[in-house]
Amino acid sequence: MARILIPTPLRQFADKKDTVEANGATVGEVLADLTTQYPNLRKQLYSDEGKLRSFVNVYLNDDDIRYLNKDATPVAAADTLSIVPSIAGGRKGI
Amino acid sequence: MISIERTPWREMVNHAQATYPNECCGAMIGTIDGENKNVVHAVALDNAHEGSQAARYVLRPEDLLRADREARERKMDLIGIYHSHPDCDAYFSETDLKNSCPWYSFVVLSIQQGRFHHANSWLPNAEQTHADKEELQWPES
Repeated sequence: MARILIPTPLRQFADKKDTVEANGATVGEVLADLTTQYPNLRKQLYSDEGKLRSFVNVYLNDDDIRYLNKDATPVAAADTLSIVPSIAGGRKGI
Repeated sequence: MISIERTPWREMVNHAQATYPNECCGAMIGTIDGENKNVVHAVALDNAHEGSQAARYVLRPEDLLRADREARERKMDLIGIYHSHPDCDAYFSETDLKNSCPWYSFVVLSIQQGRFHHANSWLPNAEQTHADKEELQWPES
């Protein structure tokens, strides 16, 4: 089982846990198990179209899965997944 | 409501004034009790925007991941993000909104002519279409 670190604001959707465990051989499978265990997390992480929200990044240990094999990235039992938002901004318009 | 203690507040203002006329950014760590958030530590982070930083900031996700780990080590929570608006009001701009995330408080510090002027905190929605103003308290407010 992989470990998933839950950001503070999402813990209310994961029985107030800061870390949860989920099954799966790939990042996609682990996230699917996570949102099966905690269905209310799904809306926070995925859009209505079923895609990860644009501001959601997933890290496998210290690596962004976008630079690995995305959802198909293999996950071992000792691995830790982190959910990290993309944040930027500025005073002027885009 | 979000309250910022004296030490992190001083660090945030100093950071914003030191980076003027560019924008700064950082993370806020503290405790949450229901609707009340209390910021105990400020973590200055790099503005990773490539190009002029006078009106833009970008947080590296890996820096935010490190801030989250620091919060966990302190047995605290990552509460929010701060950034500065040089020579501009502390509103939540279209750029702020379109690059936001609904999980955190976003404190904006207005720096006018290099000095702190005022600040606001914002809570954007998941669709990045709207941000509510959040009550913000700092030591001199």
